[in-house]
This record gives sequence, structure tokens and C-alpha cells, in this order.
Amino acid sequence: MTVIPEATLSVLPRADGSARYAHAGYTVTASVNGPIEAQRRDEHAFEAHVDVVVRPAAGTGGTRERHLESIIESSLTQLILVKNFPRQLIQIVLQIETTPDNDYVNTKLVQASLNFPIVPSLLQAAVLALISAAVPMRATATASVVAVVSQEGTKRLVVDPSPRDLEQAQSVHVLAFTSHDELLLAESEGDFTVKEWDGVYEAALKICCRPTSTKAGIDVMLDDSEDAAGSDMRQFLRSTVEAKVAADLYWK
Amino acid sequence: MPREAEPSLNEKQFIVQALGEKLRLDGREFDQYRPLELTFGDQYGVANVTLGKTRVLAKVSAEVTVPYVDRPLDGVFTIATELGPMASPAFEVGRPTETEVLLARLLEKTVRRSGALDTESLCLVAGQKCWSVRVDVHVLAHDGNLIDASCFAVVAALRHFRKPDTSIASGQLTVYTPAEREPVPLSWLHSPFCVTWSFFGDDGETALLDATWAEEQVRVSSCTVSLNRHGEICQIAKLGGVPVEAVALLQCTAVALTKAKEFSTFLDGKLAEDAKRRNKGGFMAELSSENDR
Repeated sequence: MTVIPEATLSVLPRADGSARYAHAGYTVTASVNGPIEAQRRDEHAFEAHVDVVVRPAAGTGGTRERHLESIIESSLTQLILVKNFPRQLIQIVLQIETTPDNDYVNTKLVQASLNFPIVPSLLQAAVLALISAAVPMRATATASVVAVVSQEGTKRLVVDPSPRDLEQAQSVHVLAFTSHDELLLAESEGDFTVKEWDGVYEAALKICCRPTSTKAGIDVMLDDSEDAAGSDMRQFLRSTVEAKVAADLYWK
Repeated sequence: MPREAEPSLNEKQFIVQALGEKLRLDGREFDQYRPLELTFGDQYGVANVTLGKTRVLAKVSAEVTVPYVDRPLDGVFTIATELGPMASPAFEVGRPTETEVLLARLLEKTVRRSGALDTESLCLVAGQKCWSVRVDVHVLAHDGNLIDASCFAVVAALRHFRKPDTSIASGQLTVYTPAEREPVPLSWLHSPFCVTWSFFGDDGETALLDATWAEEQVRVSSCTVSLNRHGEICQIAKLGGVPVEAVALLQCTAVALTKAKEFSTFLDGKLAEDAKRRNKGGFMAELSSENDR
């Protein structure tokens, strides 16, 4: 289990862009091909069609995967400059490699339940792969999942909940933000009040939209004090791409 | 979907001519494999195989189901192969290509029909309950010789896999979670491996092992031999192409045997290494509820 996110860019030799992302027990490999020729039925006269395919680690994809695909697809269509590529297709394949185990239950292969905790990993992998494929985008995105767990009458927020936490969670929320601090995706499941959602929003905002500490200064100090709030996703995205660019431009 | 780009006439001739001069594009010997790598995940039954640039991920899962009516004493064992657009944009979701069908068929013949996994041991209650073991083969990158890489990944994943322990007391079946009892390995009988030969030249006189994607597009014929390290051949598939002389084919099987032995020792080493890594405090022997055969 990785507590801090890990990512590698351009892992597949033949795809236009690819990324492997591992966080909180989930590992996802994403590949992006595009812009390529679209099939007649997918062709839009004025914009590119974004095709997302989610493939589960075990078993064939079902309604659950189709639902995840529709969530990711609608989010990514907002980010990618689809108007620049009329009649084209941008194909994103998200292959789930591992999901965290719950040692206390025997898992069934086909589960009808929703799988919100995987959405941040899928979205993050897709964004990294899109960057790797150099697909023009309006902004990048960061995502996180927050669960509201009630324990002995008090409610607490759990960022990146484990399967055990999810069993006890009252509600699970997935939030994604663009790099301009705009809310991109908000999906919730379970019982919750508006006040609880506000708390979740604040927690997710703190993880996804921490001001980038480009130079050592006040921001860095702030980071240390808020260490318990989870990882800094925006900084992570930035440093991953920076490291890749530095490695690619290094010659001799 | 865009069609796969075919090599140009110049490229084709270059490869063939180089092979005629006993040279391969990547400087390998004719009977040399690309570097083979195998990594296991944190979970049981996940094998990640890289053969040069080809990358295959195999994942095994098991669940309790009802056995087939005509085979009440056997468990269910399936191998699912799906080539998605990740391997190449030419592959479409839900529309199997010829490569995919042939790959699935070969894996089926090599692993399932050769009786590598004892399906009778998957039976829990005759006619009512059995294990359904499923292997999912995900091709992440396709750079030739998919068959050998996939077969190796499937065998490695199955040998690495552990299914939940079960017990039957007074007709009541209990499936233990990993927290209660350490999962147990599958009853594995032998490890078959595929070795694919590609033939070049007008009469197929040049034989290559582990062809890359470029070479596969130029070859005139191919032959897959599946065998285990004892030299027991599970199947030989030569699907069309130019005819190859029987003596040459015999020679191919002889070399295939040495390759199968190499695969076998490599896999055994990797499995032992992984078992050592998992057995941190040395408690594995105590945790295990498995009986020695």
C-alpha cells in the first residue's frame, strides 16, 4: 500500500502517451491515443470525441465500469480542448491493475456496488497520460476521495479511506478540481447533510488545491503544519511532470 | 479504428535480407529471447511479465460457484484474453481480432487442456459448489511474441495464486477469509510453456525465436510448441503459412525443450524469491494449514 502517490510517465512504448499511477492500494495504467480517426458513429462535426475505456483487473467490465467511464469522460471533456479537433477521437484506456484487499471479507468478482474510491486514481492516471501524450488541455485536474465515518457518535473525515473504513462509512464523496481551483467533479453516495458536505469540500480543497510552493517560503511552512490532511496532489502532479521533462531534456 | 501500419517494402526487404546474412535487427542470436522480466504484485496471483517491449499482466481470481451440470465433480477454470486499444489502437473493445482468438485458443490448449491445473481439486461439494478460477490476461504493450509472454504470465500467476482456505463440517461449507486462515495454493500438476518459432525465407529455411512485432509482420509462417520441462509436448500449432520440413521442426522442438527448462528454472527462482520476501518473520510454515503431499 502506497500512502503517498507514485507515478511514472510514458511507460508503454507504442501508445501516444501513457502513465502508471499508484495510490492508496490502487494501481492504474492509462494509455492515450489521440487525436486519431474516429468511427462514423462517434464522429462529432465540431469537436473531438473523448472515448474512455475502464478495464477491471479481474472479470469483464459491466455496468459499474460503464458508470465510471461516464464520470471520467464527462470530466475530461471539460479539460481537453475538444473544439480544436473536430471529427477526431481521443482514446483513453484505463487498466486497473490492483485494488486494495479487505482481509476480513471474501470478495465476489462481480459487485453491483459503486466504486467511488477508485475514481481519483483513474482520473489522475488519465490526466498524467494526457499530459504525456501532449493533448492540449485547458487545465490539469487533481482529485481526492473523502469518507465520512461515524465512530461512537462522533463523525470524522477520512481521506483516501481503506476498504475497512468504507464498510463503516456513512457517505463517500469524490471531488476533483481543476488547476484554476474550479470544482470539476462532485459525486456523493450515502447519507449526509449540507454541513457535512461543506466539511468534505474544505478537506478535498486542501488536498487538491494547495497553493504551489514554487519557492521556499511561507507556503512550505504551511505544508508542514497541515501534514495530517493528506498529500498535496497539485504539487505531486507538478513534480512528476517536472521530473519527466528534466529527464527527457537531459542529454550527455 | 485506424488500421495497423504495415512495414514498407523497403523495411520488409531489409529485415529479410539481414536475416539471410544471419543478422537480426536488435543484434540477437536466432535462438535468443529478449530479456524476460517477471514481477509479482503485493497480492497473490498477479504476474507482470515484460519480454523486451512486450508487456503482459495476468491476474488470477477465485470465487465459489455452482459447477457445470455435466461435470459435477470438476471446478471451473477459465482464461480470459482481451486485447484492448491499450496494446494498439487497431484493437477495438468488444470485437475480437484474429490475433486475440488465436491467443485465447493457444492458452486454452496449453494450460487448460493439458491438465496443468487439477480441476477436480476445485470441487467443494459435488454438484453444488466449486471454485471458479479465472485468469485475466491484459496485454499492456504489444511488441511481438504475445503468445510466449502471455503463457508465461498465466503460468506464473497461477502458481503464485492462493485461494481462500475452506473446510466442510457436517455438510456446512466455510470459506475462511485471509484474516482467519492463510490462503492455500492451487493444486498444480505441471508447468507448460509456449515457445514460438517464426520462419523466414521462401521455403521457411530461417527459423527465429521470439520475433519482435516488425519481424512478425514479415514472417512467412510460425509454429508454437507448448511443452513442460520434462519434454512432454502439450500441443504443436502451425496455423497455415509455408510448409516447413519435418527435420527442421524436430530441431525446433529440441531447442524448445531447452527454452522450456530455462523458463521453468527462472520461474521457480522468482517464486522462491517472492516466498522469501513474504515470509518476513518466518511464520509462513506455522500459518499454513496445508498438508504435505
